[in-house]
Amino acid sequence: MTPPGFASAALAIARKDLRIEGRTRETTLASLLFALVVLVVFAFAFGGDAAQGDRAGAIVPGVLWVTLAFSAIVGFTRSFRLEREDDALAAVALAPVDRGAVFAGKAIANFVLLAALEIALLPLTAVLLNVPIAPVAAPLALVAAIHTLGLAALGTLFGAVVARLQRGEALLATLLLPAATPLFISAVHCTATAIEGRPLAADRQWLLLIAGLDVLYVLVALLLFDAILED
Amino acid sequence: MRRPYDLALGLLTAATAATMAAALWLIFVVAPEEQVMGAVQKIFYFHVPLAAITFLSVFSLLAGAAGYLWTRRAAFDHLAVASAEVGWLFCTLVLVTGPIWAKPAWGVWWTWEAKLTTTLVLWLLLAGILLCRAYASTPEQGARIASVLGVVAALDVPIVYKAVDWWRGQHPIVFGPGKTDPLAPGMLAALLVSMLAFLLLFALLVAARARLAAQEDRLAALVEAAVRSR
Repeated sequence: MTPPGFASAALAIARKDLRIEGRTRETTLASLLFALVVLVVFAFAFGGDAAQGDRAGAIVPGVLWVTLAFSAIVGFTRSFRLEREDDALAAVALAPVDRGAVFAGKAIANFVLLAALEIALLPLTAVLLNVPIAPVAAPLALVAAIHTLGLAALGTLFGAVVARLQRGEALLATLLLPAATPLFISAVHCTATAIEGRPLAADRQWLLLIAGLDVLYVLVALLLFDAILED
Repeated sequence: MRRPYDLALGLLTAATAATMAAALWLIFVVAPEEQVMGAVQKIFYFHVPLAAITFLSVFSLLAGAAGYLWTRRAAFDHLAVASAEVGWLFCTLVLVTGPIWAKPAWGVWWTWEAKLTTTLVLWLLLAGILLCRAYASTPEQGARIASVLGVVAALDVPIVYKAVDWWRGQHPIVFGPGKTDPLAPGMLAALLVSMLAFLLLFALLVAARARLAAQEDRLAALVEAAVRSR
């Protein structure tokens, strides 16, 4: 039997993770509930109706991305906790495939889960903070997709790092959030543009920077994942 | 075999001490007092070299981390761990000296400007790397994981700078296009000697820390051998 190629190995791992998620719904439920809690806390912090009207553009993008980042961390942690049971990670590491494919599979699964979370979270934010997002859905989706890709790549890489460490899960936020600084600054900026209904072309340099960053994070992770999985 | 290294460390220590003394004399005796800011400006001679060398430490961290991942030679990891720790120390000093100057000069301790924010993010990244190494179950695992994080952090820093620069734009630019001869002659000499003094200090600390890491490795190997032979 010849070992599977890169793409089919990556897709097999992504399908496996998504099938487990489809049957248990653990990550989606945990992160969605957590996201809702964070949203409610933000509403208290900003005095409830403060985020509505003219100030929506100033507050909503920040609230949205902080909420997403925190609940994404819940997902990244679980992504590799799956592999810890019965020492499954050792079996994955022993598989005769490029270790980069393991990263790619995990990152694809994490990207899909994050996208699902966003699809649920955006309408919730729109309702709770009274921001109309239906008319700007297309630019908003583009902004979300391009930033979520980088977040998924970086989160998967760091998720693997902390999964290797004893009691390392507490470190994930400490590692991921500073490293993702450019993603967050750009995400908040571009989301504000989208929500306020201004054309995204004005933020072309941001979107190009983040697209480049997505490529860089994915390439670096593909190269370095090998070193994380050894043990 | 260790003798040349000891000798080099000794010479480096002497050179650092002499240059540091010369720098202090130039800064506080020779360099003229700045017209507007007065004595407060003296911290510039410490802050600027510290900041420059903090960012130099990112390069030596990248070299050590990438070299270790590529060759798996312990010497590269010793460079990486020394760069991360000494870099973090210098970064801490930058973050302390900056606000001390900023409060009288700008009226605020802190502002979310590109250089400040990037330095803070770098401090957090370095702290994360040091924590991960401490959490690792074996030194070898710590070395691998810290190297992966070191490479990611080093590549991230310029992008963080670019992003924050677009987001906010207030840090004084002393050197640059259109800024001819910003410093009085005595000031420039003091800055350059101070820069050299901190560069030597950085080299000394990195060399000493790298040797400590090598000795820790050798001690661990000896202990392991002793346990096995019993």
